[in-house]
Amino acid sequence: MSLIFRLAGPGSRLGPQILRQNCTRMLNAVRPVTMKCEPAVPDKNESHDERNMRIGRPQSPHLSIYKPQLTALLSITHRATGMALSAYVIALGYSAVSLQLPLDHYIEQLKLMQIGAGPVFALKFLVAFPLSYHFFNGIRHLLWDTARFLSIKEVYATGYAMLAVSTVGAIVLSGMS
Amino acid sequence: MALSLLARNIPKLRGFAALPRCTFRIQKAQNFTQLVVSKNTNSLSLANKCKIQFVNVGQQAKRNMSGDHGKIWTIEKIISFLLLGLVPATFLYPNNILDNAFAVACVLHFHWGLEACVIDYARPIVVGPILSKIAIALLYVVSATTLGALIYFNQTQIGIGCALRDFWSITGTAADNQKSAK
Repeated sequence: MSLIFRLAGPGSRLGPQILRQNCTRMLNAVRPVTMKCEPAVPDKNESHDERNMRIGRPQSPHLSIYKPQLTALLSITHRATGMALSAYVIALGYSAVSLQLPLDHYIEQLKLMQIGAGPVFALKFLVAFPLSYHFFNGIRHLLWDTARFLSIKEVYATGYAMLAVSTVGAIVLSGMS
Repeated sequence: MALSLLARNIPKLRGFAALPRCTFRIQKAQNFTQLVVSKNTNSLSLANKCKIQFVNVGQQAKRNMSGDHGKIWTIEKIISFLLLGLVPATFLYPNNILDNAFAVACVLHFHWGLEACVIDYARPIVVGPILSKIAIALLYVVSATTLGALIYFNQTQIGIGCALRDFWSITGTAADNQKSAK
């Protein structure tokens, strides 16, 4: 009852009058509801994608709606460098079995070509940078896995430190011979 | 009439009132979410009426991840950790054992890494169900053949460590020819 009074208007003297006029209509609107407990219907064991495919939902925009942040950029670079290193290893393996002559012959050929210090540095950097980045960021990831450096502040600090160390490491490695 | 309505619903309302007093407590060790009735609530609470009080969180978690990854995860981390030592060691002290250890660890590592990439990027909803399966199968073929090729290379040719050292010894200047002439 008090609920109906409140609906009629808080602190309003008109309340009872409105109630009197609309009493039957309001009560017609109120409908008795019976509630009972039932065992929960188990969720379909499908992934987010599977559900979206079944419903026919389109993909929502993702990458384009976020501001680029250091955390995300370092993360995707870790993947990219990992892919690059994988490509090098796969290329090394495949060239070792598919080339007609042993691999050291081709390395010797490259040596004899004397392409210059700059191009050699660039070539080495293409290998050294992904390696040193993936190496040092891998350490960072392994530390996270042991529940260290997980606050946002630490994530950024280790991120910048890793970036510096891996860049310097790559340059030093590329300059070595 | 309204009063009678209310009177009829009092038991149900009491049940509702008990609801906020129920708390969802996630117990990590059990992997279950348990609907726990806090103390000092009457037995009429909805929670007590429910037949199924346990919701399996493990099952729900499966919907967000691709399969059970818990056991392999530890091995992945061990291999990653080993590689931190193996990569410099193979380069500094190239020998057959290190070369082969490097090949196995490296292939395992990049296989799991690329598998994660394929699962994330070549999803059925993005590239279609057939292509995503082909991508995974192709990855297995590439990883296996690469491992074979690298071990073949280590056994029949100079090996990974020496190959890297040879490549790194290039300076691109005339000094190379003097060295190689020796």
